[in-house]
Amino acid sequence: MEKTKMFTLARRIVGNLFKKPATIQYPFEPVEFPERMRGHISIRIEDCITCGLCARACPSLAIQVDRKAGTWTISRFDCVQCGSCVLACPKKCLTMEKGYTEPDIMKKSDTVVKPQEEKKEAARDGAAAAGGKPVMDAEKCVYCTLCAKKCLQEAIRVDRKEKIWELDEEKCAECGICAGACPKKAIEMKG
Amino acid sequence: MAKRSIIPFGPQHPVLPEPVHLDLVLEDETVVGVIPSIGFVHRGLEKLVDKRDFKQYTYIAERICGICSCGHGLGYCLAMEQIMNIEVPDRAKYLRTIWVEMSRVHSHLLWLGLLGDAMGFESLHMESWRLREKILDMFDETTGGRIIHSVNQVGGVQKDMDSTMLNDILRAIDEIESELRPIAKTFLHDYTVQSRLKGVGILSKDDAIAQGAVGPMLRASGVEYDARLLGYGAYKDLTVEPVISKDGDSYGRCEVRIKELFQSFDLIREAIGKIPQGDISVPVKGNPDGEYFVRIEQPRGEAIYYVKGSGKKFVDRFRLRTPTTSNIPPMVEMLKGCQLADVPILILTIDPCVSCTER
Repeated sequence: MEKTKMFTLARRIVGNLFKKPATIQYPFEPVEFPERMRGHISIRIEDCITCGLCARACPSLAIQVDRKAGTWTISRFDCVQCGSCVLACPKKCLTMEKGYTEPDIMKKSDTVVKPQEEKKEAARDGAAAAGGKPVMDAEKCVYCTLCAKKCLQEAIRVDRKEKIWELDEEKCAECGICAGACPKKAIEMKG
Repeated sequence: MAKRSIIPFGPQHPVLPEPVHLDLVLEDETVVGVIPSIGFVHRGLEKLVDKRDFKQYTYIAERICGICSCGHGLGYCLAMEQIMNIEVPDRAKYLRTIWVEMSRVHSHLLWLGLLGDAMGFESLHMESWRLREKILDMFDETTGGRIIHSVNQVGGVQKDMDSTMLNDILRAIDEIESELRPIAKTFLHDYTVQSRLKGVGILSKDDAIAQGAVGPMLRASGVEYDARLLGYGAYKDLTVEPVISKDGDSYGRCEVRIKELFQSFDLIREAIGKIPQGDISVPVKGNPDGEYFVRIEQPRGEAIYYVKGSGKKFVDRFRLRTPTTSNIPPMVEMLKGCQLADVPILILTIDPCVSCTER
């Protein structure tokens, strides 16, 4: 049997009397979130080109992008705050914000609608903002079809035999993936 | 011979939050046989490789388990980088090592708290978890998440740490270390704690090897083995020495984990001291074609990650052998001969993570 020790806790008890509590006295004391906190996703819809890359990158399938309706929808309850969409966004219009969204008793989705008029204007004269449509330089192009394969909207048609490169301007989301994929740097994004 | 009876233990048990079920065969109060069964939290995460591409799967690998999250992401990325012949920048290796060691600290502090709670030593439980909060706050500051960090990616890491953050980590671990010393003293020298842990659940060195124990469970039985010696990440440049204990009882396992905490503090300090400047990731091109398996030392023991790709963006197979899977057979061996009242603590000493095991 070990020798019984006395007052082993005395130092701690006295120390605790003069210490601040280890916990934050929420809600009387505000909680400060760190800068990098992954709280929720937010979007600057005016910069969005509805390319759908975020929806493809999302591992929990929380994002839906409807190009025709011009809507971007996120299911807040399905989102796992991994930040995959933020990395995938070619326009950097998605950001991970600090702070959580409001709790709710039902699963809900947030839908953001892209203003239609602004969209058309941006497509017409906002080449710099939206990146512009791809323009192919026939001298450099080898008709490898890589741009067509990479295009998410299937807006490019390439015929290697006939040496045809066609762009469906209606479908094109101006994401610039084709220009990035081109091995000969034959595609330029122009207004 | 006393009459035998079978007592079901778990999957829901007040002491153990892990959903493992055991049929305990008892003779009076002594356990003579144990039949384990798992499968209560199977989520089919390995099968998801069919539906998520290899880059997305990093996020899923991280969500296999909350405590070993950083390590799971790292293991998957290491295997993928070997298949795709990607050389990760040195700074990324160091950053990964710092985060993985921090997660070891948080896992071991969590375990110490659970052990205190299982023994009914509430103040030890709260003290350990109070310290753990400081590490979680550092994770929050450096990665953006307390538990799931999402920093690993195939080809490096997503986020860098500036000198302010590195200094914050150093300050936090200095604080934790000085506050941990009196708590560690209680765990190692207190009469009450010793009476619950010493000489209970002995796993001999031979049994530990024969039954395939891993991690602190193996090292507590006196085997000098640590997967960090393989030199993945930045460990090849750091001083890693396996922490061992000779007795192989519950006390030994507690001692190994406490000493590993102090070892992790030293490793973090060493890594921060040596961290080079440079890029944190390299671009990844193409799809994985080939197969590879990686061993890494998770806080709970050695984990194995196997990945097989066939040139498509969806890999063919991902397989994870978690430390708890390996530690269940030695646990069954160790439980034989113990008293019924010691069963919860003995199960806890393997640091079980059933959600990892079942994936």
